[in-house]
Amino acid sequence: MRVINVEITTGVKGERMRIWLNAVVLLFLTLVLIPTAGAAPDAATCLGCHGSMEGEINVNQERYAKSVHGSFDCVMCHMTLKGDQHKGLSGKADKKIQELAAAISSKSKIDPIAQAACIQCHPDVYEAYKASVHGQNVIVKKSSDGPVCTSCHGTPHYIQPKTSKESLVNHFNVVATCGTCHEEKFMSEKYGLTPHVMERYKESFHGRKLKLGHSGAPSCVNCHGSHDIKDVRDPSSPVYGANKINTCGKCHAGATEKFVAAITHQPLHPIAHFTELALIILTVGVFAFICIHVLLDIIADIRDRLFRKGGGHE
Amino acid sequence: MNNTIPNEIERFDLSARIQHVIMFTTFLLLSFTGWGLKYAYQDPASAWIRFWGGAKSAGIIHRVAGITMLLDFIYHQFYLLNQVRKGGMRPTLVPMPKDVIDAFHNFMYFFGLRKEKPYFGKFNYMQKFDYWAVYWGMFIIGASGFFLAFPVTVSPIFPAWSIQWIWDVIIAMHSDEALLAIVFIMIFHFYNEHLRSEVFPMNWMWLTGKMTIDQLKHHHPAEYDYLYGDKKKKK
Repeated sequence: MRVINVEITTGVKGERMRIWLNAVVLLFLTLVLIPTAGAAPDAATCLGCHGSMEGEINVNQERYAKSVHGSFDCVMCHMTLKGDQHKGLSGKADKKIQELAAAISSKSKIDPIAQAACIQCHPDVYEAYKASVHGQNVIVKKSSDGPVCTSCHGTPHYIQPKTSKESLVNHFNVVATCGTCHEEKFMSEKYGLTPHVMERYKESFHGRKLKLGHSGAPSCVNCHGSHDIKDVRDPSSPVYGANKINTCGKCHAGATEKFVAAITHQPLHPIAHFTELALIILTVGVFAFICIHVLLDIIADIRDRLFRKGGGHE
Repeated sequence: MNNTIPNEIERFDLSARIQHVIMFTTFLLLSFTGWGLKYAYQDPASAWIRFWGGAKSAGIIHRVAGITMLLDFIYHQFYLLNQVRKGGMRPTLVPMPKDVIDAFHNFMYFFGLRKEKPYFGKFNYMQKFDYWAVYWGMFIIGASGFFLAFPVTVSPIFPAWSIQWIWDVIIAMHSDEALLAIVFIMIFHFYNEHLRSEVFPMNWMWLTGKMTIDQLKHHHPAEYDYLYGDKKKKK
């Protein structure tokens, strides 16, 4: 998991001061913690170091505190910390988490256990995900390109509620989030998906309305599902065959088989393509004609006023 | 008919003027709200749509205006029938071979190859173009708009083999021809009825419905001669 370091680099002076401050804080915390060594330290303890460390192991204290998990102790997810600096903080993760961590270890360089720890509080979501095409790809096929929780929800320390504008899975952001993978060309080639699926969605009325802030416009997940997402060729997918009638019917009451056939995200059919081309030619043709007509009219009008006194006018 | 030539002549009765007001009001509302959707991914679109009360509200405005416009159009057909029934309606708006000749003559006039403007009738070819453009718009944009507004209801009328492309065709028809209509009105209609030096800032006929005899004689000489030609000779 990559954590983007948003910290602003301070000057040398500030840097030195910060190191001193950290040292003082550490010393203080060490003194405070000595009598209670062995008990779970709270987030502030960890952030004493990780709040000012550089790179992927940095955690921004302010943003973490504001996230939905801001009140958690770090060790609730980081259950099996290693190294001398974390002495006494290492616990044991349960079997389920260990199994998932093993499956996603290639995606999680720093702490796969922490990455898998989401499931201890979100077991229902995990069951849905495990059965989904994403989960199957990651857990069973051990593919390198399936998403884990954080792929869609963002860096785990700063997860915002779905209703927040900053949330990557917010109604208005989730299309871009799906697009991070599904806009890639290799996706359609490798998995046999419709090419240009994102593009076709975005230019559709659904996509446009969503872009303009219509809360009722469907994003990807409204039709395809989210944690329980299935391959379109899977009969349990909400967009498989006749299931579409129910899915489209959620908004379009009375949807029929014929109606639901309209949306496929398939590339533009040649007939539609050439109709559009013909209409564009017509538009450009009329545009050119009326522009020329108006311009000539203006020129003739000026000419008449200058050289033909009262000439076209009585 | 009066024996003398009046100072002005009514070209559009009250009903026609009201139809025109409904037509352009709904046209503007449709253009404003539709533009935001067509260019949803261009930067100002979201702010523009917020001005119209957000995407939901803009969508409602668009649908209400669209249906109002279609009703106005349907009403116009009954208006025409009524004019015919009352008698005295001449097919002055029907495109004729003479319009092609007039257009050709007008271009020659533009290039200085003719000294006189064409011998225009009650409605010249530009005005006929303007009038029939609405029909084109109604059939293409109006029909496709109706389909898009009620997709579940209309879907059964499309044959199964057309499902793969029909909706994309309908969307292209609606969106591209709406652009054509906007461009046409913005350039052709605005120049002819607003910006032209004689009529600036606007041709007041949309309110008064009346045209002075001088204007008629100058811009529509064939109509003038048709109406008063005999009297002129008598005098």
